[in-house]
Amino acid sequence: MTKGVKICLAAVGVIFAVSLVLTVKFLSPTGRDASKEDVWVEVVQDNKVICRLNLADESDRTFRVTAPDGGYNDITISEGKICVSDADCPDHTCVKNGYLRYDYLPVICLPHKLVIRFCEGGGSK
Amino acid sequence: MSTKKLTELSMLTAAALIVFVVELRFPDILPIPGVKLGLANIFTVYAVYRFRASEVFLMVLTRVILGAIFCSNLSALMYSLAGAMLCLAGMLPLHRIIPAKYLWLCSIIGAMLHNTGQILAAMAIMRSPAVLPFYPILLTAGCIAGAFTGICAQLILKRRLPSDKK
Repeated sequence: MTKGVKICLAAVGVIFAVSLVLTVKFLSPTGRDASKEDVWVEVVQDNKVICRLNLADESDRTFRVTAPDGGYNDITISEGKICVSDADCPDHTCVKNGYLRYDYLPVICLPHKLVIRFCEGGGSK
Repeated sequence: MSTKKLTELSMLTAAALIVFVVELRFPDILPIPGVKLGLANIFTVYAVYRFRASEVFLMVLTRVILGAIFCSNLSALMYSLAGAMLCLAGMLPLHRIIPAKYLWLCSIIGAMLHNTGQILAAMAIMRSPAVLPFYPILLTAGCIAGAFTGICAQLILKRRLPSDKK
């Protein structure tokens, strides 16, 4: 084993360990519970906050967010949870993502530049 | 480029494309964009150790563009192109340092660079760091997938054609 291989092996080991720790941290579900407290989420499109919603106050409903290029994402709120229920993007990753449940990982629709994430309280509807 | 080499590269590209299209039919392991096995990269890693840099570059470029056309997802072309190019930029010089015995290591680094390229492209397109939290998850998955594809490529590399024996 040459020196170059050892350096590469060590670098890979360190990066893998760090990302594994961060993965476990990021994949821990949120402690926010809309049935007990205010839970604010924001819907962001193309870096602009479209709306901020308090999931504790919202009734079950579905609304459509239209992308500038004509595509759409249907966002559904049900029982204090929010998800993208339908979209016409090519990959449908946002729909497969399911409900927003991680503090660090937002629901993202890359083709439509849409982000749904938790945010701190306040703001208007 | 000799006819023999051209044919060999085309065959590899075609095989990689078949694997790529078949893999698309697999259900997603995780509902996170970009997490997949990347079985088509077996051919890339193999080619890195078998052919010259320019030949590998042409082969990967063809595969990425045709792959995007075949799965009719041209918006994903940016991500895969950025990933594949960064991956090649790392693996081509690295294969001089890392001998074929440690090919899997080169493959892991390639997978990590692929993920880096994807995330950078996504950040550039979104113009926001919202995708950054996905990076460590992609890296973890990339390490495992890269090791797997690397070991596969290593097994193929051992099986040379009879005509290769010098």
